[in-house]
Amino acid sequence: MEYGFTTAAYVVAAILFILSLGGLSGQESAKRAIWYGIVGMGLAVLATLFGPGAGNWWLSVILIAIGGGVGYVVAKRVQMTEMPQLVAAMHSLVGLAAVFVGFNAQLELGRVLRAKAAGLPDAVAVTGEQGAAVIPVNLFRGFAEVLTHKTPAELNMLQIEVFLGVFIGAVTFTGSIVAFGKLAGKIDGKPRKLPGGHLLNAGAAILSLILGLMYIGDVGPSFFWLILIALLACFIGWHLIMGIGGADMPVVVSMLNSYSGWAAAAIGFTLSNDLLIVTGALVGSSGAILSYIMCKAMNRNFVSVILGGFGGETGPAAEIEGEQVPIDADGVATALNEADSVVIVPGYGMAVAQAQQAVSELTRKLRAAGKEVRFAIHPVAGRLPGHMNVLLAEAKVPYDIVLEMEEINDDFPSTDVVIVIGSNDIVNPAAQDDPNSPIAGMPVLEVWKAKNVFVSKRGQGTGYSGIENPLFFKENTRMFYGDAKDSINALLPLVE
Amino acid sequence: MKIGALKESHEGEARVGITPSSTAFLKKLGHEVFIETGAGEKAGFSDQDYEAAGVTVLPSAQELTDGVDVVVKVRQPQDGEIGRMREGQTLISHFYPAQNEDLLAKAKDQGITAIAMDMVPRISRAQKMDALSSMANIAGYRAVIEAANNFPRFFTGQVTAAGKVPPAKVLVVGAGVAGLAAIGAATSLGAQVFAFDVRPEVAEQIESMGAEFVYLDFEEETKDGAETGGYAAPSSPEFREKQLEKFRELAPEMDIVITTALIPGRDAPVLWTKDMVEAMKTGSVIVDLAAEKGGNCELTEPDQRIVSENGVVIIGYTDFPSRMATQASELYGNNIRHFVTDLTPGKDGVIDHNMEDDVIRGATVAHAGEVTYPPPKPKVAAIAAQKPKEKKKDLTAEERRAAEVAAFKAETKSQVTLLAGGGILLLLIGLVAPASFMSHFIVFVLACFVGFKVIWNVAHSLHTPLMAITNAISSIIILGALMQIGSGHWLVVILASLAVLMAGVNIFGGFLVTRRMLAMFQKS
Repeated sequence: MEYGFTTAAYVVAAILFILSLGGLSGQESAKRAIWYGIVGMGLAVLATLFGPGAGNWWLSVILIAIGGGVGYVVAKRVQMTEMPQLVAAMHSLVGLAAVFVGFNAQLELGRVLRAKAAGLPDAVAVTGEQGAAVIPVNLFRGFAEVLTHKTPAELNMLQIEVFLGVFIGAVTFTGSIVAFGKLAGKIDGKPRKLPGGHLLNAGAAILSLILGLMYIGDVGPSFFWLILIALLACFIGWHLIMGIGGADMPVVVSMLNSYSGWAAAAIGFTLSNDLLIVTGALVGSSGAILSYIMCKAMNRNFVSVILGGFGGETGPAAEIEGEQVPIDADGVATALNEADSVVIVPGYGMAVAQAQQAVSELTRKLRAAGKEVRFAIHPVAGRLPGHMNVLLAEAKVPYDIVLEMEEINDDFPSTDVVIVIGSNDIVNPAAQDDPNSPIAGMPVLEVWKAKNVFVSKRGQGTGYSGIENPLFFKENTRMFYGDAKDSINALLPLVE
Repeated sequence: MKIGALKESHEGEARVGITPSSTAFLKKLGHEVFIETGAGEKAGFSDQDYEAAGVTVLPSAQELTDGVDVVVKVRQPQDGEIGRMREGQTLISHFYPAQNEDLLAKAKDQGITAIAMDMVPRISRAQKMDALSSMANIAGYRAVIEAANNFPRFFTGQVTAAGKVPPAKVLVVGAGVAGLAAIGAATSLGAQVFAFDVRPEVAEQIESMGAEFVYLDFEEETKDGAETGGYAAPSSPEFREKQLEKFRELAPEMDIVITTALIPGRDAPVLWTKDMVEAMKTGSVIVDLAAEKGGNCELTEPDQRIVSENGVVIIGYTDFPSRMATQASELYGNNIRHFVTDLTPGKDGVIDHNMEDDVIRGATVAHAGEVTYPPPKPKVAAIAAQKPKEKKKDLTAEERRAAEVAAFKAETKSQVTLLAGGGILLLLIGLVAPASFMSHFIVFVLACFVGFKVIWNVAHSLHTPLMAITNAISSIIILGALMQIGSGHWLVVILASLAVLMAGVNIFGGFLVTRRMLAMFQKS
């Protein structure tokens, strides 16, 4: 009876999760969607607490309360610009949790097997006989009890699932920590590899596969193999993400998101818990699609992103003629006051300089003066999918003037002024003009077609990808050097 | 150097090569500026105006020619004018070297450097010196004004208390600079404008000026305009036939016809034949901007306004720019001073005739006792070669149907392949895996499927909230930990407790952050 109740609650929770993700198709419905998610999660946790197999009820509640408290404080304190690293850090928690749950499954399995061996030795022979094990139910509680009813074939399957769950979980764990470090600037954003590069990863993966087979085949100390596998996977996660440059982090974060989902699904199989499976699959496919969208936006192959760094250059990049012409705030303000239509292209530099409030203020002033102000957002602007949208939303920029690349690219020729704030590669005309450029073929915002382009940039350096940007040398481009926030603030009093 | 402008000797020519305003720029380059007395009179610039601008006024053409190093003119020089010049002098004027071989020979014999303003190559850098364009712009505008002056009705359509007035229908043949200027002037007067050109790539420009492009249904490898420097090339006889047929069809409807079709170095093609004129309504006007080169209209007489038997006015003036002499002189003067700027790279009053320069080389037709016409091809292509435009053909109903069926079949095929492949894979797994696994596996596959379907619809701007929410949801792993926390083994309890703790952080943190993000999205 209890079991039926739990399953019913799971079905409702699963539907709520699906609605929650589906609700993100629009800004208004998204506000409702989040509540579906919260209710679904609450329902799932409650149902499990009251359902079969749960014990240590008070311990669970206290731990959830403590964890919740920590989560609450972190989420309240975090700056919107630090969102990417927060998401990455939280992925690592899910990964580690999956590893622990996988370990537990093996521990319980070991206990059950030992008990079976002690109680009914011939029934658990490796020959795969249908072990009609009758073990006193009170000996094992919770999950372990479920295990006692399993056939050897099912137990083998279970070990495969544990292997997958632990492996993916461990990769997610260290990978997310590295991604967090890179996004937070605690680890250098440049791709770094140990000597041996991807061979090392491949070797570790093969080794863990062998260990996995030994583990499943019950050769030697199973639990020890599992720990070794986890350590190897930790190494792979660390080394893999270390080898990927900071500019590719949007793909990495969504990929890790996907991994945490698959890990949860694998654990769901282990525990025969359908809700875990459903939710894990939802999260996994969502992350996979996001990675795919990001890769497409950068015109990169998913594999080449994962293997790290930009592909080998096919030839010398075209020489750039001309010089970068600087301009001061007065010049930019004059152009803005004369313009009718303005497009602002924000990038990671805006996030770094925390300039979104100043940009929002500028937008408000320009709009009050009757000018058409819009924002052009490249799919990979920032370090997280949709990063810029969130920052602009935080600064109270109305979302209906924030447009995607496809929506606004045709409008640049009729735009008077484009202000590029801290973005580089996503406005690089070399992607279209220079077939030898490392970013050739990547869709970019065609800002150079506008009448005037102002680039707010800290110095003459190149962007994250280290590629020279011919835009800065164009005749209609002026460089507005300085910290993005200070630059925009200097503009504010000059704009009527 | 001393630069001087002659008074035009051609009858009716009112323009002048140097204006008081262009003087200032020439002086900045270090040149001295001279002018023949009365040269700017007809263009509205008196000798006093020139003197005020710092120009020395000389009393005769002879004295001016003797006193300067560079002679500036508008029209091509007449025999007397070129005869007065001496060796080493520079002449800047229109020249038309292809039609004026005698003149060219004379320039060579006399050892003068002749710069033809009509030969300035059509590259972006040289646009500011392109006298043909600036004059054609004036001609196009003026053509419409002349037409309006001779047209007994309104251009714009009106509905008045006294009755309805239809808009005048204007056909512009040849959409070069003059044609486009005419289209602009005619549309702003309110007429309904149609335009034709043999270069299909100008359709866009025509439409951008507010006229309707007259399409000719003709399959021919039309020459890319870029190859010929943006000018039209002669067309094949078949094409011409087709073109005339179209004009014949349009003739009865049109109130105003403005023809501007010119082919460089040739007589103007006859495009508006006698029978077309006869087909037009009484009171209609034809303005032939090609009159100087023989006219596009069969009946055109250069420099004349004639009325055909059926009352169609045919204007064959050849001096449209001169009719707006002040404006034309200003623009021509600017073209000249831009050219002189290029000739004086040091801005020190010393002319450096650099024959390596594309623009200077292109415009120079005689230099140092040699004829330097025709010039070699410019190093810089005039206009970027047009990419062949993909023509979107209107599919017939059957073709569209066929395409739909094909697309449907392809989709069905790919879907069936996917389904069959997936099904076989599932069957294979089913063969080895235990039944209890399979029941979960089906749930898993369905969930993946639902996930894919749902996530595609997520708005791009909400990708960060999506990641935050999926992150929060992925802490569903807490269920696994909760199921194990009740175990009897101490290690399991500890690990499960840690997992519960971490998942707890994630649940609250994830949902809260998502909420914070979503709450910020607001409409303007």
